Amino acid sequence: MQSYIARRLLLAIPTLFGVTLLIFLAMRVLPGDPLSAVTGEGGAVFVLNEEQLKAARASLGLDKPYYAQYLDWIAALARGELGKSFWKDTPISEILARRAPITFQVALMAVILSWLIGLPVGVLSAVKYHSGFDVGSRIVVTLFMAVPSFWLGLMFILLLVSLFSWRPPLDIVYLSEDPAANLQMTLGPSLTLGIGMGAVMARITRSSVLEVLHEEYVRTARAKGLRERAIVWGHVLKNAMLPILTFSGVIMGQLLAGSVAVERAFSVPGLGLALVSAIYERDWMVIQNLVLLYGGIYILINLVVDISYALVDPRIRYR
Amino acid sequence: MATKQKMTRRDMLKVLAGSTTGFLLTAGTPSQSVPSSKTASGPGFLSAPEANVRRGGVVRWAGHIQAPHFDLHQGALPWSLNFMYNGLVRMYMVDGRRTAVPDLAERWEVSPDGKIYTFFLRDGVKYHDGTPFTSADVEATFKRILSPPAGLAITMTGLFEGVENVQAVDRRTVRFSLKEPRSYLLEVFAVPQCVIYSKRSLDANNQDLRKVIAPGTGPYMLKERREGEKMILARNPNYWNPDIPYIDAIELLHLPEWTDRGTAVLTGRADMSPNTSVEMLREAQKRSDMGWAQQPSESLYIVYYNCQRKPLNDARVRRAISLAVSHQDLLKVFESYEGVKFSSWIPRASDLATPPDQLEKRPGYRPGKAEDIPEAKRLMAEAGYPDGVKGMDLVCASVASHAQVLAPAFQDQLKRTLNIESKIRVVERGVLIEEWKAGRFDFSLFSHALTTTLDPSPLWNVSFKTGGAQNYPRYSNPPFDRLLEQVNRELNASRRRQMVAQAQDLLDENPPWFVIGWLDYNVIWRNYVKGLEVDKRLASDLSRLDTIWLDK
Repeated sequence: MQSYIARRLLLAIPTLFGVTLLIFLAMRVLPGDPLSAVTGEGGAVFVLNEEQLKAARASLGLDKPYYAQYLDWIAALARGELGKSFWKDTPISEILARRAPITFQVALMAVILSWLIGLPVGVLSAVKYHSGFDVGSRIVVTLFMAVPSFWLGLMFILLLVSLFSWRPPLDIVYLSEDPAANLQMTLGPSLTLGIGMGAVMARITRSSVLEVLHEEYVRTARAKGLRERAIVWGHVLKNAMLPILTFSGVIMGQLLAGSVAVERAFSVPGLGLALVSAIYERDWMVIQNLVLLYGGIYILINLVVDISYALVDPRIRYR
Repeated sequence: MATKQKMTRRDMLKVLAGSTTGFLLTAGTPSQSVPSSKTASGPGFLSAPEANVRRGGVVRWAGHIQAPHFDLHQGALPWSLNFMYNGLVRMYMVDGRRTAVPDLAERWEVSPDGKIYTFFLRDGVKYHDGTPFTSADVEATFKRILSPPAGLAITMTGLFEGVENVQAVDRRTVRFSLKEPRSYLLEVFAVPQCVIYSKRSLDANNQDLRKVIAPGTGPYMLKERREGEKMILARNPNYWNPDIPYIDAIELLHLPEWTDRGTAVLTGRADMSPNTSVEMLREAQKRSDMGWAQQPSESLYIVYYNCQRKPLNDARVRRAISLAVSHQDLLKVFESYEGVKFSSWIPRASDLATPPDQLEKRPGYRPGKAEDIPEAKRLMAEAGYPDGVKGMDLVCASVASHAQVLAPAFQDQLKRTLNIESKIRVVERGVLIEEWKAGRFDFSLFSHALTTTLDPSPLWNVSFKTGGAQNYPRYSNPPFDRLLEQVNRELNASRRRQMVAQAQDLLDENPPWFVIGWLDYNVIWRNYVKGLEVDKRLASDLSRLDTIWLDK
């Protein structure tokens, strides 16, 4: 197992290099020169002439050849420096330190909620195959899969504001500082995301459990006289976990990058909004470093998921 | 004969009396009786219009505070920074007229020929880092504006195009020399971004303040900044007006979405917002615990015509479109999105703007199109397009209300009235500028804060003058250019008004744009927020909250 983990971590390096190349080139190739305009609210446009553009580019190091800019960035990463905001010199590590815990908390709560919703519904749906419950739950699940999460979030806010004249706090408050205020802030987005993910989780669980329910060893367990509950939760679910784990890893990775639409709906200043702001401001350094970070997170999560396969299924052993 | 501007104590008391009445009429609930406070007096010593002011508390302000950088002269957003700074003068409503009032300058003199402006600076003012404010700071600030160092893009340079030189005469006197007179120059000095930075800050940062929040002289000082979340500004205990500010701090909450700002104020998570959505304004209007106002701004919605591309290179075609497309219909289509108001080439709050009731009688602006459309068709035929035009490019930003509401409405009007067919092309706002620079458009629809003054000259100089810095339509109208030079120089108010009216006629005949309308900002606040004086200021002036206080 250890050599497997070491191999995977080594393989991550060229993957991350690929990510750096892709995002670096994307920023340089995509239209929208950050120095062509400085914009503010209402589209205030102040434009630089060619001479000003040239000088401003030089002041930000953008007059160097692309390869030199890329190597400067990689050298900084190798020194452990995540860099600073292009315009304001704000260290990106500060942005991460402040916002990542909130995004992580929302993501974790959403995944837990998706399990709490999706697993029981999926298992019951599979066990009571073609029953009224199965048909009904599939309709509801399909509905919640179709409804965009940001719409759900907006409806939440609308109901809260119009019925109770209340909306979640706007400040970041950590769980350790003030649990009540923190939950007021994070429950809404995690519920919104959790419901949508829960619906997908229910579908995946249902099909995975259905597949396992028809296995020979399940028939044997029934023949031995085991209770259905023990069979389902003790044997069937364990063997149906692999696709569920895979899906959980994928959504966790996505949510750690920040669900932009839901963060926007709830005005939660998470990592997703940080990336969007950076894109609007054409803050290349923030964009590059955040995307690289997300790439790293995905790789780690995939590794964790793969390792968890071995824990769940003793037949899987890595060498 | 030199002109002196000096506010006496009597003038100030008149202002206070008038504004108290005005504020009570607009804000609603009268304040409760609380112990009175001493009012400092003298030029520019503002104070809250209410009689008994309560001190203390923190105002939570909801708006857009995130900006790419911190240098106001290089285009940073004033909303998040202006609270910390002063300019030489500011604009205020005095006796019903928008007037320059003292800020860091106690008084000023303008030479009879209008070419020398002398400002006499306040004594005893300090920057937040303790540096004394002197004329050297004004000189350094304006030298940077007038002749930007290499690598800097001072967006304000164009506003001071008539100024030749700035000189610190002595410690408290600074003199500006102009190439030729500019009657609107005081208003330019009062532009919110025209703050006075300290020479020390400029020198310490190689003239570039994009990455630092430089200390100011304003009533609030930076206490804490959380990127993308909020800024906390604490009261400056050493402010040169010892009576203000009344509150302990302002919390500027970053809420880029307009509706979020409104819900924040409606639910008590914030105390006020300088600009929220129309729906939130309507909600605030229904509630007895809320105050609201629609403040005119210097922002507008327009459609550029590309004056170098066929068929829009023909002034008759542009005139035809301006006659045929209905302002009223476009405003109606858009009224639930933003408060856009009817006006023409000048912000509607300007003294020089044509009042709406007179404007509505003019061709192209009148609601009924019975005469305008036939005339427009005649012009199109004369220009060689009797059957309309196909395949025109209407570019707009990827903002939902632009791309999905206004642009289709404009497109529909072109088709129905003149059989001009166009295709809407949506691009990101940051990319739009590149389309303009390259001339890759026929029409371009957008909202703009193109000007920061009510006087038309700064806007017209950059946007309509041949070769102007923001003349992306590539408009050239030599008679207008010649008249504009006279408008810029003319000191006699009555003659200037006539020239401005003539200039507007020239623009109507040969238009560079289609002006849809000028924006109002939807200001809302909880009733316990006092001292806002919204009736005395434009929307852009609301980036100063010197006299605000909380009646709770």
